[in-house]
Amino acid sequence: MTERPAGQESGQSRGLAFRGEELRKIYRTGETEVHALRGVDLAIPAGEMLVLLGPSGSGKSTLLNIIGGLDRATSGRLFYGDTDLTALDDKALTRFRRAEVGFIFQFYNLIPSLTAEENVRLVTNIADNPMDPAEALALVGLAERRDHYPAQLSGGEQQRVAVARAVAKQPGVLLCDEPTGALDSKTGIRVLETLARANRELGATVVIITHNVGIAAMADRVFHFLDGRIARTEVNEHPIAPSEISW
Amino acid sequence: MTALDRKLLRDLWRMRGQVFAIALVLAAATATFVLSMGVHRSLTETRDAYYARNAFADVFAEMTRAPRGVVQRAAAIPGVRRAEGSIRQYATLDFPDRVEPVRALINSVNEHGRTHLNRLTLRQGRLPEAGHAGEAVVDEAFAKANGLGIGDGVDALIYGRKQPLRIVGIGLAPDYIYAIAPGDLIPDDRRFGIFWMGEKALEAATDRTEAINALSVTLERGARQADVIRKLDALLAPYGGSGAYGRADHLSHAFLDNELMQLDALTQVIPPIFLLVAIFLVYIVLGRMIRTERTQIGLIKAFGYSGWAIGWHYMKFALAIAVLATVLGAVAGVWMGRGMTRLYTEYYHFPFLYYHISPGVFAGAAALSVGAAALGALGGMQEAVRLNPAVAMTPPPPPVYRGGWGERLGRKAGFSAIGHMIVRHIARWPGRSAITVTGVALSMGLLFATMQFVDASRTMIDSWFLRSQRQDLTITFIEPRNEAVLHALAQMPGVLRVEPTRAVAAKISHGNRTERGAIESAPEGAVLTARIDGDGQEIDLPPAGLMLSRQLADKLGVKTGERVTVEMLGGRRTRAFLPVVRIIDEFIGKRAYAADATLQALARDGAPAGAALLRIDPAARDRILAKLKTMPVVLGVTERDAALRKFEQMIDENIFTMLGFYVSFASAIAVGVVYNSARILFSERAHELATLRVLGYHRTEVGMVLLGELALLVVLAVPVGCVAGYWLAQMMTAMFGSDLFRLPFAPSRASYGYSILIVLAAATATALIVGRRVLQLDMVRVLKARE
Ligand SMILES: Nc1ncnc2c1ncn2[C@@H]1O[C@H](COP(=O)(O)OP(=O)(O)OP(=O)(O)O)[C@@H](O)[C@H]1O
Ligand SMILES: [Mg+2]
Repeated sequence: MTERPAGQESGQSRGLAFRGEELRKIYRTGETEVHALRGVDLAIPAGEMLVLLGPSGSGKSTLLNIIGGLDRATSGRLFYGDTDLTALDDKALTRFRRAEVGFIFQFYNLIPSLTAEENVRLVTNIADNPMDPAEALALVGLAERRDHYPAQLSGGEQQRVAVARAVAKQPGVLLCDEPTGALDSKTGIRVLETLARANRELGATVVIITHNVGIAAMADRVFHFLDGRIARTEVNEHPIAPSEISW
Repeated sequence: MTALDRKLLRDLWRMRGQVFAIALVLAAATATFVLSMGVHRSLTETRDAYYARNAFADVFAEMTRAPRGVVQRAAAIPGVRRAEGSIRQYATLDFPDRVEPVRALINSVNEHGRTHLNRLTLRQGRLPEAGHAGEAVVDEAFAKANGLGIGDGVDALIYGRKQPLRIVGIGLAPDYIYAIAPGDLIPDDRRFGIFWMGEKALEAATDRTEAINALSVTLERGARQADVIRKLDALLAPYGGSGAYGRADHLSHAFLDNELMQLDALTQVIPPIFLLVAIFLVYIVLGRMIRTERTQIGLIKAFGYSGWAIGWHYMKFALAIAVLATVLGAVAGVWMGRGMTRLYTEYYHFPFLYYHISPGVFAGAAALSVGAAALGALGGMQEAVRLNPAVAMTPPPPPVYRGGWGERLGRKAGFSAIGHMIVRHIARWPGRSAITVTGVALSMGLLFATMQFVDASRTMIDSWFLRSQRQDLTITFIEPRNEAVLHALAQMPGVLRVEPTRAVAAKISHGNRTERGAIESAPEGAVLTARIDGDGQEIDLPPAGLMLSRQLADKLGVKTGERVTVEMLGGRRTRAFLPVVRIIDEFIGKRAYAADATLQALARDGAPAGAALLRIDPAARDRILAKLKTMPVVLGVTERDAALRKFEQMIDENIFTMLGFYVSFASAIAVGVVYNSARILFSERAHELATLRVLGYHRTEVGMVLLGELALLVVLAVPVGCVAGYWLAQMMTAMFGSDLFRLPFAPSRASYGYSILIVLAAATATALIVGRRVLQLDMVRVLKARE
């Protein structure tokens, strides 16, 4: 068992989803070095809803990609529960994503040649303990549109399919990089509602990157990013429902 | 350099793999073009120069024996420029340390250099001198093959008499560029050679004082060859003339011509296939390029560039490929042409060889590849010209997928989501998928069409060398012989069976077409010869009337049941009007057959044996051959197995060299098509593949999306390729046929198998190279960009 860093337990009884120590990410392009992460220590309690805020270029996406196993830190250690993600090889990292992680991006990243339901099946085909794809679509209110191709859906609907695809495997964590970035407030709130529901009903740890400060109000915890570091952590004792968010 | 040109260079460099792959296919077209045109022209020019320099005659005639005076009368025929008589005599050579029969064809040459037609080119030494009976000039190839040099002696059996010959010169002549013994297909320089002896000496050796048995004639410009031939035939009939003929029927000329014709056929068939594929490839690659550069095009147009400037920019991309291809193809074509010309000179003997490729050939090759590239670029260029800048700068509408055949198919088969992705993508781009299938199929077809030449040769061996000719030895006589000689041969120990054959020279006419040939026959119950039909069936001689080979029947335009006029040129020169009772699909030559009785009735001279076929005990071979050497009546001995070995050697040396060329060319198509398809697929799907990786698919699983689609297309191409190959092979076989021989069309399963395997191997290797990119796919970077 590894010891939890002091001062970061904050009353969570279910333990930590992620724990990171001194995470650094340096991009080297020729002569220049870009320090995207400059030593991030973090603890994300399991089952929480976390929002990452911060100016453009402060390293939010970099961190999200690293904890989701899409990218690797240049140095530092990262644990998912007891698993040392920094020690995993590519295959094991892929297995980790397959079993535990649901991703949602700003540009939905649906497969245009697959219908809504088939996009969800893409995940349920390979997950250990998936939901029924129809059930996942019902969760996001798109049960009727299952046979539609992405080109036949609006942006908000496409994003909801992406959410359904992410939650269908019943992931341990849902990682969302500006999920409402391309949506208007009404559709954005619908998407956030499905995320909140996944957090509540599936017990998934949800991490949301956003530029919309209003969204922070629905989080249990907020990381404020600045210049490759978590400048400030804010714990929200009374998260609000997505519908109450002022956009 | 303008900014657009800089972009052009960067694009070419960035897409170097695809550029090179297309250039490879296009280069295969230019290479085959340069190769066959270059070799064709080189050989034609060399031949024509040789003919002109050495005064190769236009019309030839042979007769049993005619007084020299006949030459004057031939020269007086209107249209004849020059006539010259000579003696041509077959002889047997005796190398004391060798058992195998060696034959020579001895020609007379004027000792005072007054031979003007079919002149000898001396390589070494001198002409025979008057008064030195045994002096001879020997053909260069024969001298080389047998290690003969000036001053060497060899014993010849000429006209039943032994005559020691001394070699005073080594040379070659335009009427023996392709020197084969009668009945052979391929020169055997060790066993058959051309000799030249002084006129007087050969007259004496053959009992033809002041007489000749061959006549060569050149024609005045504008003279009608057919008229001259008719008059010569009339003139020579009393002297046993066997029918005058033009260059087209001259053995050496005809074989060379046949070779040139085949080269022509190659030029007509092969490059168009490569060009077609290259057009397709340029089309799909530029199409994809313009789709991805839509926004850039809109932007550049918004800056004020004209549509044509941008269209021309993409056209230049295609032209750059064409230039690269022309250079690659020209270099490869010249290099292979050199190799091929060298191969030719092993069989065709010239005193000099002009291997040079005229600028016109290169210009033609360049025109072909530029034309193909431009044609392929036209569609994309048009699109770029037309693109409205305002529309171009908005992101392209997402590809629309809807139900369709792929849809229904996938649902029925219960495909996984990945399976759906593959099938729907194919259906979404039907044109491009069809191009991939067609390209791979053509590659396979071409492979098959070349591979089956090996099958054709094997069938030829089986049908001609093994099933038609079952004798071990063929013995020709100085004069037609009757039963007594056959009996003597049969008495020799080790001789198992003796059968006579007979062939009488004849002119066969139908309507206004006339062909010269021989009517062949075998006695009833003969087992050493057989006539094999195209389907391998053994065909009996017709009880009455004639049986013609397909080639002769086609030449005469005659069908079964029609009658032809037969004019015998040997024997009593009778004329008859005979029905064609059967046409047989044979591979070698224009031939006519009749039953022994029919032929005897026609020739009316008791029909003695023209040749004897022997089957012998292999253990007794050497003894029998030694005995035959001592028999004065024997004019020549041919061993079937020697001819067979020569044929096999020719296949090994030539066909396999050619096969090497074409297998690599055909594979170039498969590589070019698969590589470009794969790269386009990859660029179209990079985003989707990255998404799959994010969703937790392993690299190999993601690779399957890419490779699965390619694999499906390649597999679809296999049956198409089999059909295309069958069709192409049939066409090429037909084009390669000539008066001399026709190729059988008998493809083996192995040829299908090999061409499938080679294409699959080329496709797999290429796809895997592109597939490696899946392994290097950077998920984060790809997902950052909006598709
Ligand atoms: N592949 C890369 N190569 C070089 N530098 C990179 C690369 N990816 C990211 N960076 C740099 O790393 C830093 C952090 O980038 P990141 O994408 O994490 O920022 P972000 O907080 O997500 O910003 P945004 O809110 O604009 O999405 C930036 O300065 C960026 O330029
Ligand atoms: Mg970001």
